[in-house]
Amino acid sequence: MIRLENLRKRYPGAEIDVLRGIDLVVEDHDFLSLVGRSGSGKTTLLNIIGGLDRAFEGEGCIAGLDLRALADAEISDFRNRVVGHVFQAYHLLDHLTCGENVALAALFTRGETRRDASWIRSRADELLDAVGLPGAGARRPSTLSGGERQRIAIARALFNRPQILLCDEPTGNLDIETGREVVDLLSTLHREHEVTIIAATHDEGIAAASQRVLRLRDGCLDDGHGGER
Amino acid sequence: MIGRGWARTVIADLVRHWRHFAAASVGIVLGVAALTFFLALGFQVREILLVRVFPADHLEVAPKAADLDLFALRIDLGRDALDAAAIEALASIDGVTVVYPKMRLTVPALASGGGGLLGSEMQTEIVADGIDPALVAEEVGTAFREVDGGQSSVRCTRDADCGGDAYCGRVAGNSERVCRPFIPVLVSPYVVELYNGAFRRAYDLPKLNPDALVGLTFEMAFGASTFRPAAGPPIRERMRFVGVSNMAIPLGVTLPLGHVRRLNMVLDSPAAGERYHSAILEIGDPDLLPQVVNGVEKLGLEVRDRGVRRAAFVTAIVIAVLGLVGIVLIAVAAAHIMHVFYLVVMVRRREIGLLRAVGARRTDIRRLLVSEAAAVGLAAGLVGVAAGVAAGAVADRLAASRLPDFPFKPESFFDFSPWLLASVIVLAVAACVLGALPPAHRAAAGDPAEALAGR
Repeated sequence: MIRLENLRKRYPGAEIDVLRGIDLVVEDHDFLSLVGRSGSGKTTLLNIIGGLDRAFEGEGCIAGLDLRALADAEISDFRNRVVGHVFQAYHLLDHLTCGENVALAALFTRGETRRDASWIRSRADELLDAVGLPGAGARRPSTLSGGERQRIAIARALFNRPQILLCDEPTGNLDIETGREVVDLLSTLHREHEVTIIAATHDEGIAAASQRVLRLRDGCLDDGHGGER
Repeated sequence: MIGRGWARTVIADLVRHWRHFAAASVGIVLGVAALTFFLALGFQVREILLVRVFPADHLEVAPKAADLDLFALRIDLGRDALDAAAIEALASIDGVTVVYPKMRLTVPALASGGGGLLGSEMQTEIVADGIDPALVAEEVGTAFREVDGGQSSVRCTRDADCGGDAYCGRVAGNSERVCRPFIPVLVSPYVVELYNGAFRRAYDLPKLNPDALVGLTFEMAFGASTFRPAAGPPIRERMRFVGVSNMAIPLGVTLPLGHVRRLNMVLDSPAAGERYHSAILEIGDPDLLPQVVNGVEKLGLEVRDRGVRRAAFVTAIVIAVLGLVGIVLIAVAAAHIMHVFYLVVMVRRREIGLLRAVGARRTDIRRLLVSEAAAVGLAAGLVGVAAGVAAGAVADRLAASRLPDFPFKPESFFDFSPWLLASVIVLAVAACVLGALPPAHRAAAGDPAEALAGR
């Protein structure tokens, strides 16, 4: 479960808060869309939930963990196992194969959940199948289309079976048709993998596919547009 | 970051950014090459000076000179010899393990022979001294030993009758030929070097291989001189050259101590057989050298170091200066590495942000960059060492073809010992790692969200 209370965030040098007293509860296996204009704070909110940005005020408790209280090793493990990130710009590493990109999180997995090389390869292949790119493990990301790259990025985010999938404009760089395929993929993954999905988006398709839509306006959640679907 | 994936990631990053890293490693390569070249040169020069020219594990001690120059003459006012009490006092100095007294031959001598080797017989005045065979036992073995020079009763007509260690000759005052032992002699490497470097050129003689000289025989007439008539009948003996030793008299021949003592007593006086002209001190620990020198000076004696202390000081200074030059070059290169890694970190900012997003800890990022720097240092160190060794080989070839022969001219002017090469490579790795630490720290400390946003 995600629980945010009176969350505030101001970037260094900025005169106003980008997030102004966000209160939010997201139950497990929810599919939530965050909509709003550019600069409304969607990405910032995702970064805070994903443990990428811990310079905020207020309470942020994700999966029972107080994000601001975690040491670097603990927050890194949180990012490694609890959340998965999907970015608008994919952020794939072109010098690695698609399979290696998918398994990137395995490099930083420690302790009992660390797996051997054959399990990692098998898991990467399984995820490539799940995102509709079977056999793409040996290819380089640079040889793929935008939609295919985003599928690889989604597979990468799911590698360690995270509880929460955070998608920041996942269809922002894609054409309508390809974007619809990615939305369908997210819906399928949500259904089949029972993962909580929070997507920051301008895409009506994603909003339509989600269970809840929350609108961010000038750093505040707009209750007039948020609600159950 | 753990496991094989780490190594693969490091290699992939090195390949991906090879231009940056190649540019960064140029300075390291040059610094390592210079350091390798200069240190190998310095160590080899030190080896030649302190082991071959001025051996430092033994110290020669003699009575302190107190000379007075009077026109063309130099009058010796000091004592000229060491007695048994002085030898005993030297043995009691801390750090001295053994004392080997040396005795000069106090009568003139003539050496003749060498026809088989040089093409014509030579005769020369020669000086000689005697040392305890135990002093050179490790160096030349048992061939240099005391022999019984007394009257032999084995009559003979030719050398073959006497076996390998003796020859057929007459004893003074006796017309019968009897088997007499060859007297073993040593010469100093100075003699061989002086001959090969200068003497042979003046007389158009062949260059000699010191090892091949072993077994060469020649005759010596003790008590004979071309300068003045002999006081009595000389003692003629045949000598056999048994080796080259730093312990031998620098110019002349060295005989077993007991033989010189007998010659001095017979041809000079009984007292001449009791006076030692110097002593060799064997020092167990070279670090105790200053302490031993102090002890010797307290006894009113002086150390004939033949330049060993100056040589040690000069070579230490030269090695330190040359090493410093190389280290400064490497330090400058490390600063260059730092700048290049700052650039690399900036270029890879999003990538580092992504690694943080998928679970990399700050230590993982630091280790990744430091590992890359270490790999760059290792590669640059290997290339630099290879360049240094190659430069040394070129210098040796030039020295062999362009430099004239001179005493102790080595076959190689460089001592590329494995530990030197390994140390220089380790230094290169350390320099790169140190250079990469500040940018690695900055990269690890960065905010992943900002890095992903490219801010």
